[in-house]
Amino acid sequence: MHPLSFRHSSLLTRACSNGRTLSTLAASTSLGCLPPAHSPAVSKLAFFNSVTGDSSKIPSYRVLDVFGVPIEGAKVPEVSIAPFASPKKYEHMQLLPTLDDILCSGQRQGRIPFYSLTSYLKYGEEATVIGTAAALADDDEVLSQYRETGVLLWRGFTLDGIMAQVFGNHEDSGKGRQIAVHYGSKQHHFHTISSPLATQISQAAGVGFALKRDPARRSKNVACAFFGEGAASEGDFHAGMLLAATLPSPTLFLARNNGFAISTPNSQQFYGDGISARGPGYGVDTVRVDGNDVLAVMNAVKEARRRCLEGGRAVLVEMMTYRIGHHSTSDDSYVYRERQEVEDRTKNDNPITRFRLFMESRGWWNETDEDELAFRLRRDVIKAFKRAETVKKPDLKDMFTDVYAEEPWNIKEQREELIALLKKYGQVWEPWQNELRTLKNGGKPVD
Amino acid sequence: MLARRLRSKFPALSRRWQTTASTTAIEPPPAGGHSSSVASSQLFRITRESALRTPGISWQDEESDRNIIGGRETRKMNLYQAVRDALSIALSKDDTAVIFGEDIAFGGVFRCTMGLAEEFGRERVFNTPLTEQGIAGFGIGLASMGHTAIAEIQFADYIFPAFDQLVNEAAKFRYRSGGHFSIGGLTVRTPTMAVGHGGLYHSQSPEGFFMGASGLKVVIPRSPIQCKGLLLSAIRDPNPVIFMEPKILYRSAVEQVPIDDFSLPLSRAEILIPGSDLTLLTWGTPVYHCESALRLLNSPPPSLAPLIPPSLRNAKVELIDLRTILPWDVETVVESVRRTKRLVIVHEAGMTGGVGGEIAAEVGKRAFLRLEAPVRRITGWDVPAGLQFEKFNMPDAVRILDGIMETLSY
Repeated sequence: MHPLSFRHSSLLTRACSNGRTLSTLAASTSLGCLPPAHSPAVSKLAFFNSVTGDSSKIPSYRVLDVFGVPIEGAKVPEVSIAPFASPKKYEHMQLLPTLDDILCSGQRQGRIPFYSLTSYLKYGEEATVIGTAAALADDDEVLSQYRETGVLLWRGFTLDGIMAQVFGNHEDSGKGRQIAVHYGSKQHHFHTISSPLATQISQAAGVGFALKRDPARRSKNVACAFFGEGAASEGDFHAGMLLAATLPSPTLFLARNNGFAISTPNSQQFYGDGISARGPGYGVDTVRVDGNDVLAVMNAVKEARRRCLEGGRAVLVEMMTYRIGHHSTSDDSYVYRERQEVEDRTKNDNPITRFRLFMESRGWWNETDEDELAFRLRRDVIKAFKRAETVKKPDLKDMFTDVYAEEPWNIKEQREELIALLKKYGQVWEPWQNELRTLKNGGKPVD
Repeated sequence: MLARRLRSKFPALSRRWQTTASTTAIEPPPAGGHSSSVASSQLFRITRESALRTPGISWQDEESDRNIIGGRETRKMNLYQAVRDALSIALSKDDTAVIFGEDIAFGGVFRCTMGLAEEFGRERVFNTPLTEQGIAGFGIGLASMGHTAIAEIQFADYIFPAFDQLVNEAAKFRYRSGGHFSIGGLTVRTPTMAVGHGGLYHSQSPEGFFMGASGLKVVIPRSPIQCKGLLLSAIRDPNPVIFMEPKILYRSAVEQVPIDDFSLPLSRAEILIPGSDLTLLTWGTPVYHCESALRLLNSPPPSLAPLIPPSLRNAKVELIDLRTILPWDVETVVESVRRTKRLVIVHEAGMTGGVGGEIAAEVGKRAFLRLEAPVRRITGWDVPAGLQFEKFNMPDAVRILDGIMETLSY
């Protein structure tokens, strides 16, 4: 045990004179320590307000610059970005805006479920999602917010599956109950999305705990919660981080900071240094990364995942990006931000362009590949779209199933009441006839 | 500004035209839905004369004894414009009044706060971070200091993080302090009910959950005039009020709305169509499905005529809009049922735990011997509001018609 002695270190001096930052102090001073936090006692009253220790902003880890050129000191992970692996990432990155483009027009033309509110647009955030997907294991449990379809696609969820959910037809595993982009796939370890924000964050802590308790999955898998910087304002963020840090449970917290929560810019969402600044508050290993650099995201999430598995505890990754698209098809973002700002970001910091330039500089990609990819993706998406349009909506009986594991008396009686009504009016009342015709087994009474 | 100069020269000129007139900004694609019942309704007051004669209007002019109608102006407004108009009046007359919530400043996702931040400044009309529990708590704190706090919860489906604050704090604030602290200045506005494409989390009607929170008031308007008058009453009521606006009506419900400051009474139901054979009680969007049902009953189209016994077609059904859900107007409802002897209650929320059960029990107690049929509830099913099934989940004109006929012939 080190004898307590006062050390007039330069660290202490800085803390005293600055008054705003507290650098790491010697663990023991002559003034003693305060249990139970083992907090060293000091005689100078000094407030602190910085995670970095010198009031600077938390830095963002980056590998490629905006032109796709590795920056000085960057570690370009050769193996995992080999010529065959990179195109897979790039393709998936390109697939996202292609998908959005077609679904968005589809919604505007009224071809997607009438007035469907959401075709959440991922423009600008492709690297955050694909970079993360590439760094996770395919069976890590993912609890998404709604802008992370790329993870699902990376894991092999088909375009037909996407379209089934968006159209809400009877092929949708969710049985047409939810609005667009609320995907779920047990097979792909992608938990069904719900609209309320941040609810998935505290749930993820529980999912992680289950993984830890399961001898077959302990030390093999983590739970991952995705959320935006806006959702991080909800109480569930605090709860999730706290539980995963304290209990603890192996949960990755992946924050997409894209600058906006619908119309609310970061300046009105928080006052601290983004979401990363909160991590140390919970005692959680944290990193901030350039979210538009797919290689940086991949590296960072890989390391975060490793720490999460090793420590069995929460790890926080904040991915800095920009929401180029509108919030949804119900939003016109030029009402609350300058068009010029969006155009500048699209031109000057485009995650897809950055990665393509990098691949081209390595000789792994060229213009022919680009044209061929664009053509193929568009063709595949449109094909799936057109096919889904012809598929009928789910069976009406699925309105009443899955409420409970079994069927209680009230639901049974209500189902029978509807059957009777359909029998009585379904053949003669045109609005009902029209609606029934769109449903699987339509026209026939529900049984 | 020209408008301000004009205002000072001609005080009688409307002060709010620049905020309620349509802006040149690009219209975002309509988030509000469409309902044929609403489109064909005769219940809207679309002339100045009928608007000014809205029953129960109480003019709130600065000169206190102006009870006259003559000279008053109306303007065509939809529901969100009526909300905006009421909010503008509230902020003009009450310096402590502030409006806050998610995405309020740019006008709100349903445009209810368009132009208000520009007119009253960002200190009075402002965005909060994304936290409903925070919004509710903040509003309670503000109101506890005697200020007027007008909070918005972006969708009623998202009111649940605020439930603890509303039920445990807001509802019990006055009681637990022995009457020394109160938060009458709190009003929580929120869009509610189905919109046609909302699915599980953009369609809910959570008024039933608040019935047990004595101390709170819950109000649901059916039209622009009702909305403006009831909202102003709610804001000024000395109790915390949750004001739920049926979102499908934001754009589709249009009336001539008096531009002056007026209020409509809380806890008073309104008889929309007098009748003698059956009482049909509802609130919000289903008001219009009920109206359609009555039309189908009285003059059925050929396709339905065989299913509607001629003896029932002359039935005179009394249609009542409850308006305030908590505390509800038991007198008007029971008086009506004593006359008609039959009651049908319609609401979008599920049957179990819905407001209809509470009303049915109370009416059953007070009018038991008068009733000639059990109180019938026509409601959403006890299932979450699945997107593709909405048309067969929320009560529509035919379901309501069927329930009326069943009750008439019990």
